[in-house]
Amino acid sequence: MAENRACEAPSLLPRATIPSGDNSFWADVSPLLDAACQDLQEGELIHGDNFNLFAAMSALEIMDPKMDSGIACTYYSLDEAIENGVAPVPISTDKTTDVQCVIDIMDHLLACEATWHKGHSLAQTVYSCLYLLRPERTSSHALLHSYCKVIRATCKTILSVVSEARTHEEEDLFTMAYGLPLSGDGDEKCLSMLNAVEETISRQLRACKATSSKRRVSEDIEPLQNNPDLEEGYCKSLLCRLRFRKHFYHLLTSMKRPQGRGLELARKHIASCISEIDHIQKSSEFLRENAHGMSEQNIDNTTASGCQPIGFDASLNCRLSAPTPPRSIKILCWGKALEYFLKLLQDLDVVCSYSLDPSLEAALLFVVKFQKSQPDLVARAHLQLLLVQDGKLYGRDPMFSMITRAAGLAEVTENHEIQKNEFMVQLGQLVINLLKILCTNAAWQRRKLGKMLQDWRVTYVQLEMSFKGEFEEASKTSNNKKICFKIYQHILAWVEEQTYWIAFRFLNLGFELELYSVHDYCMVYWYIYVVLIKLAEKKHLRMAMNSDSAKKKTKKKRDSFKDGEMDYHIPAAVLFLQSQIYLAEGLSMMFAALRNECRIVPLQSPFNTEHEIFIQQFELLQKACVPDHISYATFKESTMHANFSTLAICDYFKEAQRIAKEVKSSFANDPDTMAELRRVEQVAERNSIALNVCRAGALDPKLKISFTFCHHPFYATAIVKRS
Amino acid sequence: MENIEFDASAATAERDEEAEMENVEFEASEIEYVSYGGEHHLPLIMNLVDQELSEPYSIFTYRYFVYLWPQLSFLAFHKGKCVGTVVCKMGEHRNTFRGYIAMLVVIKPYRGRGIATELVTRSIKVMMESGCEEVTLEAEVTNKGALALYGRLGFIRAKRLFHYYLNGVDAFRLKLLFPRSELHPSLPQMADKYDSHMQSDHRDASFKE
Repeated sequence: MAENRACEAPSLLPRATIPSGDNSFWADVSPLLDAACQDLQEGELIHGDNFNLFAAMSALEIMDPKMDSGIACTYYSLDEAIENGVAPVPISTDKTTDVQCVIDIMDHLLACEATWHKGHSLAQTVYSCLYLLRPERTSSHALLHSYCKVIRATCKTILSVVSEARTHEEEDLFTMAYGLPLSGDGDEKCLSMLNAVEETISRQLRACKATSSKRRVSEDIEPLQNNPDLEEGYCKSLLCRLRFRKHFYHLLTSMKRPQGRGLELARKHIASCISEIDHIQKSSEFLRENAHGMSEQNIDNTTASGCQPIGFDASLNCRLSAPTPPRSIKILCWGKALEYFLKLLQDLDVVCSYSLDPSLEAALLFVVKFQKSQPDLVARAHLQLLLVQDGKLYGRDPMFSMITRAAGLAEVTENHEIQKNEFMVQLGQLVINLLKILCTNAAWQRRKLGKMLQDWRVTYVQLEMSFKGEFEEASKTSNNKKICFKIYQHILAWVEEQTYWIAFRFLNLGFELELYSVHDYCMVYWYIYVVLIKLAEKKHLRMAMNSDSAKKKTKKKRDSFKDGEMDYHIPAAVLFLQSQIYLAEGLSMMFAALRNECRIVPLQSPFNTEHEIFIQQFELLQKACVPDHISYATFKESTMHANFSTLAICDYFKEAQRIAKEVKSSFANDPDTMAELRRVEQVAERNSIALNVCRAGALDPKLKISFTFCHHPFYATAIVKRS
Repeated sequence: MENIEFDASAATAERDEEAEMENVEFEASEIEYVSYGGEHHLPLIMNLVDQELSEPYSIFTYRYFVYLWPQLSFLAFHKGKCVGTVVCKMGEHRNTFRGYIAMLVVIKPYRGRGIATELVTRSIKVMMESGCEEVTLEAEVTNKGALALYGRLGFIRAKRLFHYYLNGVDAFRLKLLFPRSELHPSLPQMADKYDSHMQSDHRDASFKE
């Protein structure tokens, strides 16, 4: 077996026969099929009780390689493949070749792993490795055996994290592992085995270095491979790969520790992983130079050496993969795989650096910021599990106290009877769901946020009614009533504020996801404007209630926000929103003016009108009455008279710019908000200029107007050019 | 402002951004639009779709659509050659009666001349007249031509579907909402907008569900 080491990549061998089983035998049905073909005319179809045209769509054409996965199989079974020497152990009797091949296997496995993380199935990626499929076969080869163990253990850990997070519906290929040997015997001890192998190779490295410097070596150790000139290079290449796996596995187990207890240690392992990746990358030159010519060139470039790895066959698992035959996938190249892991490590480092601030607002802001770097599934799943565990924030802080704290009710003790209120419990669940949803990919997230609005609205109404009922209980003392009233008011205000926050995120995510066309911008900015007004109102209300001395200001009219005077009682956070209100309104009016002045040709669909577009775009918001009294009619009323001369009267952009500039100083120790304000300022300034140009050249047909998001992810900047 | 590129395929897996080198010269009036008329049209449709898509469907998939909804599939001919086709269905979906555009193809030399728009429009018109409340389809996020085409017809990008296609590309679910009659008592007559070049060929399908 070891002599006839298969060095070619498995090719399409003509198979003699698939053997009959004990209770089965093969019969030739070609005559029957022929007769059936003669019997059916073109266009006819067999009818059956449970077979109709719809079912017929799932038909497979036998021997079509795209549909009949059996035809493209190299071997009928794993046993057959092994018998044919596809995954020999050891890979070569020549130790140098054996080491080279093991490194190729390690590299290709890394590429498979990255491909799996990116959204494919385990069966077609990592478990295309035959050595992993039969764990016991590698037991005589310490290096390969320990490596396979740590791979299995790592995949199992990551799989459990993603499964537990349970928000991967659109990435569900990831968790399919039916029929795959995820746990080998003794895999939990993988690290001790790996350490032993690492120790041996370290000694081999020391020995070869001593030999080269002609120093006497104290211990007599057999070298890793045959060629003394290459010993150092191969030892180092192996060591960095083994160490990467060790630290990566440690990282995962550290992060799993409850309540974020292992985060600091995890960061140390992340740093080690990144350092080892650097060594792995640097090893490629040596490996390429000394690549054995025994193997075909690796066209997919999944190994550092450039050689095809031995022992992989994706087609063997195709029956385990899915109900339908799996499409062939492309494994990431080695360079891209390393890039992927670097990004993953960076994202995990951000997660591990989080301070676990016992504040809902901080947690929400952290997730929103984290998502800006577009982390992948594995990083997001880890964040989610850190944030929400056992129904508590960070597995530590009960949701009830987080909510009351966020609502400004610091003095409400955890034992207050209000937490037993069924709608308070429901609210706690809504907050947990919100945190989980915010960790999903943007496309999925937006849909869920939209659907969530009704739940938040309904909960608000239920809480209001329930509080009213409890408040009116005769048994309460008047002092008790005062406290209860305060609690109710705070919580209700906070719930409303959160609802509008969700609505705002729902709307602005549409830009990131490219869901809006230019023709939609006018109404989208208008809706953002009305939502932001409510958000600012509710936030102001809540903050005003929080300060003991301030009387509740009755700034209910939305025009009050447009007072020229800067009211120093308005908190900076509210002013921040106010600058955005002006910016959004300005943008909406600008688009309306551009359309009314015929600078943008309105959409003239033969099938529907702007009204239908409005209904569809804001369906979920309208259903949840977020906000109330908003309709297509109110939108039209606000925008149909916009033109360049009316815009001269209220310069929304100038106001936005002014407020953003003035409130920046309040955020001196909040670099993120400072940066955001700067962006708002920039967009406002540029749009103000663009508007002036439009006004001045209103009748100039050569003026070309376009829009860019390079200054801000969702507030557009107009660019006016003369063509 | 928006660069509008006419490019037809709704369901292509690959996007070809090449300039149209072998454009055929023709007048719009030379294009004949025909409703699906029977088995003889099936190989024409299949060849067109097979040609343009990297993942051809089995014959049963075509039969499902054209047998059950022959009135929703149209072919475009130029001098006897089939140059484009649209294949659709409609039905009840979660309490709404909804049309679905499954395939839309126009061969490369004939693109950019409104043939795809005309094919789709005819099909949507039949859906509307049949009582559909909305029409939907999926398109790759990179398919600028299809997005522009459907955008002009009043479709919005209702959802983004993450990694919808196995090559990792996202898709948009596009939706067109027809006006509800109670909101629009005086809708412009859609029929007036189009020439009656359309030859309605409503032969009975040989198989009915």
